[in-house]
Amino acid sequence: MLATVVRLTRDVDAAQDAVQEAFAAALDAWRTAGVPANPGAWLTATARRKAVDARRREESVARRLPLLIVPEPSTGYGFPDDRLRLIFTCCHPALDIASRVALTLNVVCGLPTADIAHLFLVPEPTMAARVTRAKRKLRAAGIPYRIPRDDELAERLPAVLVVVYLLFSQGHTPGRGTALTAADVAARAIDLARLLVLLLPDEPEVTGLLALLLLTDARRPARLDADGAPVLLADQDRTRWDRELIAEGTALVEELPPGPYAVQAAIAAVHAAAARAADTDWPTILRLYDVLLRVHPSPVAALARCMAYAEVAGPAAGLDALEAVAADQRLAGYHLLPAARADLLRRSGRFDEASRAYAEAAGLAGNAVEREYLLSRSAGMATAVGGSLDL
Amino acid sequence: MKYMLMLFEPDTDWTAVAPEEAEAALAEHGVFCAWMRERGIPYSGEPLRESATATTLRRVGAELVVTDGPFAELKENLGGFYIIEVKDLDEAIEVARHCPTGTATEIRPIWEV
Repeated sequence: MLATVVRLTRDVDAAQDAVQEAFAAALDAWRTAGVPANPGAWLTATARRKAVDARRREESVARRLPLLIVPEPSTGYGFPDDRLRLIFTCCHPALDIASRVALTLNVVCGLPTADIAHLFLVPEPTMAARVTRAKRKLRAAGIPYRIPRDDELAERLPAVLVVVYLLFSQGHTPGRGTALTAADVAARAIDLARLLVLLLPDEPEVTGLLALLLLTDARRPARLDADGAPVLLADQDRTRWDRELIAEGTALVEELPPGPYAVQAAIAAVHAAAARAADTDWPTILRLYDVLLRVHPSPVAALARCMAYAEVAGPAAGLDALEAVAADQRLAGYHLLPAARADLLRRSGRFDEASRAYAEAAGLAGNAVEREYLLSRSAGMATAVGGSLDL
Repeated sequence: MKYMLMLFEPDTDWTAVAPEEAEAALAEHGVFCAWMRERGIPYSGEPLRESATATTLRRVGAELVVTDGPFAELKENLGGFYIIEVKDLDEAIEVARHCPTGTATEIRPIWEV
């Protein structure tokens, strides 16, 4: 509904006001006359009228009005197209990524700025200012309210997908704070991905993203133990994985051409197919990481490939590969680099070095739960050096 | 909407470089201007002399003091600008992509008062 009104007003703030007024009007009208047959259409029509009224009030020159109203599409309320327009506008690359995420949550998902502030652990006035600034820029800089042409889509789509992915990650593993998983945030990200698949059925990377989110979310019930500490993939109770999500995600991934999200989803699907960690098809995973590094080279993917390589070729070979990747300056300060090194050192029986690496990783981790976990591993290594801990 | 394209590049005294180099740079802009004319995009623009030639008037307390040099000492400086008139930011970005530039092109909407 908001999207339809934005198309009319070309102004997100004015549209939000109009929608709020429509809801207020509905409370009055429906109490006396009853709920209409199609409440959504009633609200949209009312919000449109409120927006037009507001603009009339603002602009004494009413003759300009027809120029501002884009003709209604012939089918229904044109909802899907408007929604997509709104998403592409909020995710315009001329906005920085933090603003894109905040604006999408506020305008597309209808989340109040207070909730978004809470989600990203910033003070509410900071988030409100960020959203206001982004809306101002939409208008002042002339960011268009339209769906990119087919020849632009390849360039514009990643900016949208990364917003959904970041939102999901924020729910899955917040960088700071104490609650590791915020299920409702992940659910919103998945909803958004589903919506994008509906709106852009011919874009394989959109489907790849949805598959990746479903397959990652499937593991959520097993990611934390009873004390709220994270459980490594290898140690998770796989009977607690969500089989429905796995089936849906795996079915989606099967026909996809190799794009960054599709390949990551395929890797998650291979993990999901193993009933026990020991059954994991590591050679296939290693091959998929090689594909991933070809279609989307990134230091984090290179790091993950080292861990897969260690499963195939042994921890010593993995450590050699890791040292080559660790030279990448972009990984400096990334806590999972020393954590990966610690894991391989532990499996090579080099407990002293492993303990130091775990401690280094803990020092870099931004998340309290992860930090405690890494510290306990570090302490565990001290015991292992004494030879009493069963690893 | 009107936008200003601000072309940032390493400071260059174009009168001191080899004439063929300066001509090649100007020719690139000639191609760009022809490209805009073909599309009917209204534009204007000027190249600037290097930032070492700049003079800045600075407010110091109640006074305005004349100082030597640009407002900010940067590795790259404003080397020239265009004013273009297009439909929206996407079109402005598309035009800026065709514009020869040294380091970066800042696209600013013009406040039409």
